[in-house]
Amino acid sequence: MLKLRLFSGAAAALLITACVGTPAPQASLDAAPATPALAVDVYDGDFVDIQQFTTPGGVSVWLVTEPSIPIVSVQMAWRGGSVADPDGLEGLGQAVVYGMNEGAGDLDSLAFQTAMEELNMSFGCSNGTEWTSCSATMLSENAPASMALVASALTAPRYDEGPFQRFLREQEVGLKTRETSAGYLAWRAQSQALYPDHPFAREVTPESLAALTPELARSHMRALMRKDGLLVTAVGNITPEDLAPLIDTAVAALPETSEIPAVAPVTLPDMAAADPVIVPLPQPQSLVRFIGPAMDRANPDYFPAYVLNYTFGGGGFESRLVKTLRVDKGLTYGVSSSIDPNPSFTVWSGGGQTKNESAGDFITGIRDEMQKFIDGGVTEAELSDAKAYLIGSYPLGFDSNAKIASNIMSVRQDDLGVDYFDRRNALIEAVTLEDVNRAAATYLAPGRYSFFVVGEPQGLTAE
Amino acid sequence: MKRILVAAGLLAFAVAGASAEPATAPNTPSSFTLDNGMQVVVVPDHRAPVVTHMVWYKVGAADEAPGKSGIAHLFEHVMFKQTKNIGPEEFTSIVQRSGGQLNAFTSWDYTAYFERVHKDQLGKMMELEAERMVNLIINDDPKGPFIAERDVVKEERRQRIENSPGALLQEMVLNEFWKGHPYEITVIGLMDEVAALSPQDGLDFYKEYYSPENAILVVAGDVTEEDVRVLAEEHYGPIEPTGQAHSARKWQPVAPLAETKLITHSDPKVRQPVWSRYYLGTSFKRDPETALALEVGLEVLGGGMTSRLYQSLVEQQKLAINIATFAWTTLHDEGPAVIYGTPVSGVSLEDLDAAVMAEIEKILADGFTEAEVVRARNKLAATAIYQQDSQSSMANHYGANLALGFTLEEIAAYPDEVRQVTPEQALAAVRAVFGADKNYITSHLLPAEGDL
Repeated sequence: MLKLRLFSGAAAALLITACVGTPAPQASLDAAPATPALAVDVYDGDFVDIQQFTTPGGVSVWLVTEPSIPIVSVQMAWRGGSVADPDGLEGLGQAVVYGMNEGAGDLDSLAFQTAMEELNMSFGCSNGTEWTSCSATMLSENAPASMALVASALTAPRYDEGPFQRFLREQEVGLKTRETSAGYLAWRAQSQALYPDHPFAREVTPESLAALTPELARSHMRALMRKDGLLVTAVGNITPEDLAPLIDTAVAALPETSEIPAVAPVTLPDMAAADPVIVPLPQPQSLVRFIGPAMDRANPDYFPAYVLNYTFGGGGFESRLVKTLRVDKGLTYGVSSSIDPNPSFTVWSGGGQTKNESAGDFITGIRDEMQKFIDGGVTEAELSDAKAYLIGSYPLGFDSNAKIASNIMSVRQDDLGVDYFDRRNALIEAVTLEDVNRAAATYLAPGRYSFFVVGEPQGLTAE
Repeated sequence: MKRILVAAGLLAFAVAGASAEPATAPNTPSSFTLDNGMQVVVVPDHRAPVVTHMVWYKVGAADEAPGKSGIAHLFEHVMFKQTKNIGPEEFTSIVQRSGGQLNAFTSWDYTAYFERVHKDQLGKMMELEAERMVNLIINDDPKGPFIAERDVVKEERRQRIENSPGALLQEMVLNEFWKGHPYEITVIGLMDEVAALSPQDGLDFYKEYYSPENAILVVAGDVTEEDVRVLAEEHYGPIEPTGQAHSARKWQPVAPLAETKLITHSDPKVRQPVWSRYYLGTSFKRDPETALALEVGLEVLGGGMTSRLYQSLVEQQKLAINIATFAWTTLHDEGPAVIYGTPVSGVSLEDLDAAVMAEIEKILADGFTEAEVVRARNKLAATAIYQQDSQSSMANHYGANLALGFTLEEIAAYPDEVRQVTPEQALAAVRAVFGADKNYITSHLLPAEGDL
């Protein structure tokens, strides 16, 4: 059992590392480290150098060492998110992550939060649809003490009644306010219309909240967070040798494995309803969302579609949606589209907001743009502009520790391979006009897209 | 080695660069001025071959003439449309074809334009920004660069403000708070006034404010001062100063509130009432010592979960879902110091108000402990270390503060200065702002009548 006695500054760091049995910092400078030498496999990339290693405790880590700023961030991710909430206990995963920085071991909520402030660190976890993640950011001088606090949270989170009841009170407010949130209402209409029986359509309800208990959260935490399949990435001013024991201590008490049910993919129909679904909400603008079936990364159409999306709605002012609906017609401040290749839910979606009076014109405008891709395709100039941006701007995603941390975790989650960043531009370069126009004909047919409108739209017939 | 040298968080800033890469110069920003009066600031960051290129103009919504609200922001949109040598909508195309990302923003105090690109493209970005500093086209064409953009801005106003009951209420409160001051009208402007802005208004605005002596160039990223000097002299150097750089800014001290007021806004979209109180705060520009002390004091009072108000109102009394305090200290002139909270169901805004103010009175009578003030000021100082991770954030930080008239030295001194704030100073600043003799505006965001 971990005992935390936090003071401040370097003294605390020494005390805590001694307690948890990792080598004291000075030892690694002048004497042989207590742990055996790590086998570090360095991938020397064009954008980032990734050090891969397995800790003595068996955790697979990708680390990018960046010495120029005295900070370190560590990310952990496990497959299994809110979709793993047991039926009738929707919101349980949220309760799990809410409690992760609300007290652990001897520290109650206030003491834990105070300890984080004294270390100038942040630590928190999140529960997405399919993934649960934790993230810690710390000053490198405080890394041992900060990671000891993370260790206590992963080892002995308290789930005290006080914070748990506060979580429920916050959730109850959320249940009320979501009823007038345009984004939520569009999402709910979409789930109910397209995949009402799939777990992705489930949501937190007053009844599911009432069924949650701290005990359930405590046991579900150990289902979500386990050693098996744990992905760890880190970026910052730290070496593999210094990081490995901190990670091992942090995850030492996690169970080896657990049962997380697999999720069947959502299948969207190839033909959508002709009329939009309208959700009334009293406001001057209507939110318009469209969604249709797409493809995963294994599909040869993925990169052609990704490049095509730039010209369709992903390229800002270079996209036809913005050129037509904002620049030419003045109907909106912003309209965009994107592809999600997540194998469980491959979708092409987008939308924007327009005054209620022009909601009909806005939807017609989007459908017309889709049809123009089918009829006339993309020009050579558009294709070359898209490639120039997508390739030329890629380095901008690697100019901060935070972006690198997010990118390398995505590569691990999607299992793209450590060399993905260096392969990606060639995959885009290889896309031909024929590829793009084939993707347009296959995926942009307006009839594939369902439309959802939230507001008080005029000029529309509802589904 | 770093571990031995580090005695306190304060040193980490200076030590890490030196110990990790002793051969490279520290990433200290530097500044010089071109002959035409344009200030240039370089913020080195050599981690990736990327630069953030920004041009800041010392003009904002505070400079607008009466009846012309929204011109500074609408004009910012128009800057993307067309110039003598760049065709309609081509500006963005050229930047994106160069692998760049771009945008712009307007505040009461300044207007800034930026491109983020591979460092090889820096010269081209300067060429583009220099071109639109002098050769912008504005005409009367209803489909042209000025008139068509008005409709886009009206949609932007609907999206940002009119769709959001909370934003509408805040607009009403700030209008009252800054009554008679140039910040009185929200940056995006009033719908009717935006609709009535003319191409001539745009031309006048351009002529008066867009000139090199009224601009600051900020380049952050993988460049040296010398790289930037050569490129800036080539691209911006030849621009003639207009010689009529606009007369003094309209900044003025904000008058104390003449009376205490309650402003309510009811909307069928509101499902959760929210309570706020706005007092006259200060600004770093007007009163740096008080601003520092107020930031530290408000951190202790209502800065997060460990704060006094959160622990009392949320954790112990369980009257609120959240409660927090903050102050707008980074405008040129004084902004509000705000207390706001969301009651738990069954607690009225009046009851929450009474409980919060009673607690504040008690806290301010008892004073702050040394430990909580140390924690608060270290937290504020550490933001300067974490901020270094974001190149855009560093560029913004320097650009915004230079546009207000701070020097590089003053900007760099913040972490040291915030650590000097004593518990007595923090307490005195909060007491002065929330004093019993001070007027304030209370705001209530409420559901429509009969909804609850």
